[in-house]
Amino acid sequence: MWIEIAHFSTLMALVLSGVLLIAPLVGLRWQRVVWIRVGRQAAFLICALLTLAVAGLIISFLKHDFSVKYVAEHASLKLPVFYLATAMWGGHEGSLLLWGWLLSLFVAIAAWRHWATHPVSMPWVLSILGGVLLGFLLLVVFLSSPFERLLTPPFDGRDLNPLLQDPGMVFHPPFLYLGYVGFAIPYAFAMAALITSQGDSEWILATRRWTLFSWAMLTIGIVFGAYWAYYELGWGGYWAWDPVENASFMPWLTGLAFLHSVMVQERRRMFKTWNLFLIITTFALSLLGTFLVRSGVLSSVHAFATDPGRGVYILLFMAVLLLFSFGLLTRKADLLKETPQLESALSKEFSFLVNNLFLVAGACTVLLGTLYPLAMETLSTAKVSVGAPYYNKVFIPIMLGMLMLMGVGPTIPWQKATFSRLRQEFLLPLIIGIIGALLAPLIGISHPFGAIAAGLILFVGTTHLKELTRNTRIRMTRESLSAPSALLRLVNRNKRRYGGMLVHLGTLIMVAGFVGSGLFQEEKDVFLGKGDSMQIGSWTLTLETFHQTAQRNWHADEAVVRAERAGDSALLLKPQKRVYNEHSQPTTEAAIHSTWREDLYVVLGDGVKEGVWAFRVYRNPLIAWIWVGSGIMMVGVFWAMLQGRRLQRT
Amino acid sequence: MKTPPNRRLFFLITLVVVGGALAALIFSSFTDALVYFHTPTEALAKTQDLNGKKVRIGGMVQTGSLVKESGTLKIRFQVTDGKNQTPVRYEGMVPDLFREGQGVVVEGIWHAKQDFIADSILAKHSEDYVPVEMSEQGVAKAKESLLKSLK
Repeated sequence: MWIEIAHFSTLMALVLSGVLLIAPLVGLRWQRVVWIRVGRQAAFLICALLTLAVAGLIISFLKHDFSVKYVAEHASLKLPVFYLATAMWGGHEGSLLLWGWLLSLFVAIAAWRHWATHPVSMPWVLSILGGVLLGFLLLVVFLSSPFERLLTPPFDGRDLNPLLQDPGMVFHPPFLYLGYVGFAIPYAFAMAALITSQGDSEWILATRRWTLFSWAMLTIGIVFGAYWAYYELGWGGYWAWDPVENASFMPWLTGLAFLHSVMVQERRRMFKTWNLFLIITTFALSLLGTFLVRSGVLSSVHAFATDPGRGVYILLFMAVLLLFSFGLLTRKADLLKETPQLESALSKEFSFLVNNLFLVAGACTVLLGTLYPLAMETLSTAKVSVGAPYYNKVFIPIMLGMLMLMGVGPTIPWQKATFSRLRQEFLLPLIIGIIGALLAPLIGISHPFGAIAAGLILFVGTTHLKELTRNTRIRMTRESLSAPSALLRLVNRNKRRYGGMLVHLGTLIMVAGFVGSGLFQEEKDVFLGKGDSMQIGSWTLTLETFHQTAQRNWHADEAVVRAERAGDSALLLKPQKRVYNEHSQPTTEAAIHSTWREDLYVVLGDGVKEGVWAFRVYRNPLIAWIWVGSGIMMVGVFWAMLQGRRLQRT
Repeated sequence: MKTPPNRRLFFLITLVVVGGALAALIFSSFTDALVYFHTPTEALAKTQDLNGKKVRIGGMVQTGSLVKESGTLKIRFQVTDGKNQTPVRYEGMVPDLFREGQGVVVEGIWHAKQDFIADSILAKHSEDYVPVEMSEQGVAKAKESLLKSLK
């Protein structure tokens, strides 16, 4: 019953997205505002209908309606209610529907919020978003339907993949999709600006919050995924350059480039074409990401063969989008003539340009590594893989270069910097950075990359703190305030600038985490019987007992390991090998003890002989800094989002 | 304000140098990092060409071939594609998904006429779980498609 309602409302939404595509154009052609209004109402209706569809599918899950193929494949009678509801996006078909629903929600919000403020571009925005929605819903309804029925419903379902029965994995996809989908709005505004020949920067100002929001959501999604990989997969790491991870990393990189380069357009009316290119690319990569992960193309190229429809459709959709966007860009190229030009390499503009070069090079690196194996496999029979060493080799220099620019960009002046100004801004941070890099080996950071990174972190940190203290002082004397209230005033007055700086600070903390866990991870394989001990770092680990334990839908072998070190009270770690009832496959549950200095990470292996088990123990220095740093980044982004437009200088 | 031509040239050169360095970095790292995948039959046919190269060998873990050395983490098993087998040795913890009769990919350096010493074992992850109570025919078909997808 509910599934029919869901199916029917999705069909209605599909028809209405056709209306959303066409009605505003009809209104423009014959100058009838009423048709544009029809488009707007269609946007609201589509959102309502898809909300109903998503609710219908979730209710089918909650009611254990195994006559629905999708429910039967992703749920079971014993699955806890929380996972039952969220299993709605546990598979390809449902997650595509979720994508469509989030898009319709954003379209509705855009139609509501920007209707009065952007009357010229609104019809085009609606129509373009209608096109994207139509393309997506066609896929959902005809090629990847979660509403398919089974003629003979099974008594029980196949259950949700046990790896997905975890809060981290439940929230990972929706955040990623919020990010992907969010980029559709700036994209549509950019295209509308091109079509209506408003080559100016209004579209950038209008969509600043959308872009920031999308990028923030993408970041949260990626960090959730990394965190999940860290504590659920039990291999001691958080990022494996897996194609699925890469798919979300590419739009993140180009989105980040876009966030920086729009500032140049806003301030100096430069990089107009480049910004359009970036937003088109970012949205296209968002789509590519969704498709790569959710069409099954990645797990095997032969998905094209098993379901040629889906693969070909996706390629077609991307081709149409790219041809339309870049075709429009070249046709309107003369509109984008830039009057001001770069004046000096010692300027903010130039540092942003190089920043963009680095980020786009990063995105190309990932794109090449992700698509090359697919291309090879499709075009020839050879199957090839591109491993983590490739990405690490390329990304370490890119990251160090980005760090350098992060120190220079925020405080170097626009247009042209004089040498005295440069000396005033950067002499002290440079000295501190260089001293830091030279002293780093003394505190154990012996790896050259580690030392360089430490120096750069100090350099960037100093430039940021210097700027902050200087401006706080100015306010203290000018308005005769105490230091904290002057700082608060300052940060509150220019939320964009100081929000951005907070993001940079969070990034520094994250980078410290990357370097610490990447270069100084310690790993040991040991055999322990009852009472046996081992050493890792300053810790002594002793196997206390070994027993069986169980919960409603799983049972497990569990080891109890006592970890001690001088000056700390002992703690108990309980790594498990868990077997979920509906699956014969065991899954590893690592036991993790997290401190600000390091994580102790214990994985239980198989028994090697009677009474003795294999353990793998990791010591991951500074890994918690990654999660903390990303949290600080998010605070910064949301702080920057509170302020719409740049302050006008008076 | 118009940028003077010599300064423009300077910008261009800076961008080309930085961009070129990045491109060179990407491509040089890329060619080193490619690891080719072979089935046991293919590897056997090219055994001399592959000598000393890093490869991935994929197939099923032959049922009944897995031998564990008691008191160590050393294991031996055969990877089969239905026609030929590659004997593999490995020491360390194996992934959760690794067992007899399942798909597996092993990575390591190929040495002709020797057992393959795997540096790492990747068990095939699949989003779609195969139900336990599958028919004979279903099992055969799943094996076939698994081999196909591993290829």
